[in-house]
Amino acid sequence: MDRNESCLSATDRMIDMMDVGVFAVDRELHVRSWNAFMVAHAGKGRREVLGRSIFEVFPELPRSWLQKKFDRVFALGAPSFTSWEQRPWLFRLPHNRPITGGVDCMQQDTRLVPLKNGDGEVALVLVCVFDVTDAAMLQRRLAETVTALEAERAEQQKLIARLAEAQEQLVQSEKLAAIGQLAAGVAHEINNPVGFVMSNFRSLEQYLDGAFALVEAFDRHIDLLPDAARTAIEKLKSDMDYEFVADDARSLVAESRDGLERVKRIVADLRDFSRVGETDWQWASVHGCLDSTLNVVMNEIKYKAQVVKDYGELPQIECMPFQLNQVFLNLLVNAAQAIEGQGSITLRTRAEAEQVVIQIADTGCGMPPDVLRRIFDPFFTTKPVGKGTGLGLSVTHSIIGRHHGSIAVDSTPGQGTTFTLRLPVRQAAAQSTADREVQAA
Amino acid sequence: MNAALLTEEQNEALQEIANIGMGRAGRSIAGVFDEFVELSVPRVREARLDSLTEAVAGLIPEETLTAVRQGFFGRVRGEVIVVFGMNGCRDLAGLMGYGDSLVAADEDELLLDVANVIVSACLGGIAEQLSTELSVSAPSVLASHVPPAGLFGATREAPDGSGALIVEVNFRLERHSFACSLLMMLPADGVGAIRQALDDFLASF
Repeated sequence: MDRNESCLSATDRMIDMMDVGVFAVDRELHVRSWNAFMVAHAGKGRREVLGRSIFEVFPELPRSWLQKKFDRVFALGAPSFTSWEQRPWLFRLPHNRPITGGVDCMQQDTRLVPLKNGDGEVALVLVCVFDVTDAAMLQRRLAETVTALEAERAEQQKLIARLAEAQEQLVQSEKLAAIGQLAAGVAHEINNPVGFVMSNFRSLEQYLDGAFALVEAFDRHIDLLPDAARTAIEKLKSDMDYEFVADDARSLVAESRDGLERVKRIVADLRDFSRVGETDWQWASVHGCLDSTLNVVMNEIKYKAQVVKDYGELPQIECMPFQLNQVFLNLLVNAAQAIEGQGSITLRTRAEAEQVVIQIADTGCGMPPDVLRRIFDPFFTTKPVGKGTGLGLSVTHSIIGRHHGSIAVDSTPGQGTTFTLRLPVRQAAAQSTADREVQAA
Repeated sequence: MNAALLTEEQNEALQEIANIGMGRAGRSIAGVFDEFVELSVPRVREARLDSLTEAVAGLIPEETLTAVRQGFFGRVRGEVIVVFGMNGCRDLAGLMGYGDSLVAADEDELLLDVANVIVSACLGGIAEQLSTELSVSAPSVLASHVPPAGLFGATREAPDGSGALIVEVNFRLERHSFACSLLMMLPADGVGAIRQALDDFLASF
């Protein structure tokens, strides 16, 4: 095999000059031929390598793995391959970009091709090394570009979702503001008649008291009347069931005044509640917010759930009360909707260091973990199509976020759900803490 | 595909050739792996190229599959697809000379290597029966870690009505949980060559 180059046949010369690394090894993996590409790229001449093991020529080859690969080619008589995608290079050869760079060495595809002798036995294995550096670099750059594009697209999708959420929130608060204006107008219109009816009732009550006192005064002197007149009056009184009427009239008036008081309170709450558009920071009582929201949604709740209030001593907190109302509204309506049949909703409040803690617990159907993970995602809803926008809890989350508070949820399917809100008493302190955390991160 | 690609006689001949070929393939694979290989009886059938997903459904009852493809050429041309379940393929790392800690690129390379052995052996077996030589191109990953329905996600859309002749064989290594399916696919538009080869084979008796 160790021939003089001048004796090479035309075919040998063609193989020699091919722009592909070609060399042959025998069963012991000793090099038996070595073409010009290999001479040039491996930097080793024929005399240096012929007859030597490829593991001596290329000491960095993965020995046991490659040995098995060659064994299979000899045993099966079928070629074997490596590709730059899985194995960027098998033989450490310099690349052709000493100036422009970009890779550590020649990227290659290789073929191990069996060469059979006359008996069909594999006598040699031809190793072909294809330089695919340029294609591999291009491919990698493309892959990087695709990855970057995909990341960008994912980021855009996230932004679009956030935009949709913000827009929906805007629409939601515009809607609520419009309802608020309407409600304020209606409330004003209702307040007037309710006001004079109440004052009329106050007068009526006094007149009634006077009238009954008068009747009683007459009654005290009834004996002075002639028998016929007295009998007629007593018949009249018993026909109309005077005793009952006298008693009932007073309570009717009292109940009506009570009812009117309630109308007044609800109208006031409605007016307060509907001022959601207002985003002024105010010092307000959480209990006040909870109670006025309860008044508004009581109609939805009262047939399904008993509301248990377990209020602690709370300081006033710096907040946007009308936004908190919206949070409580969402949580209370969800709690009521989670209850099938009869249940209870417990409102528990506690003061804790510089925070207030508000828990809204229901005895409803609860949520499985896969639902629980997603409840704050915009547009996620378990309600039937058209029933929920999937934004209630997402809006809740962002309002609590704006208050530098936190919202946590704990749910057991079949037993109920508890939302725990934590709100800082002072915004300035919470804000600077949040800023510090951001800076630290 | 209305008319059958092969006559009944040609079909039987292909079945027979595949059967003998696979027997030889099994022996050479066993020699390479030093393990006993179980091969199913080859099944010859026809499928439309636009419904390959259905054609391979259920071959490997696993949720995540990897497929390797390899072209072959010579007297007949076609492609071989080897479908691997991901359970048990790491079992082969030792047999193929890989270390214990396989990274993702190694796993792909391992499956390319295994596919190449199986495909070479099977094509060699069949080529020998047809008294011809078949060469293979380098294997490449068709789909990696996909559900069965995603195996052909990266292939071009097949023209309407184009079909292929499929020779399907299932492999198991006796002492390992490894299993795979080999599908040798002959495109319908090149089926004339295989018909001729089969006729020559039949005439040689």
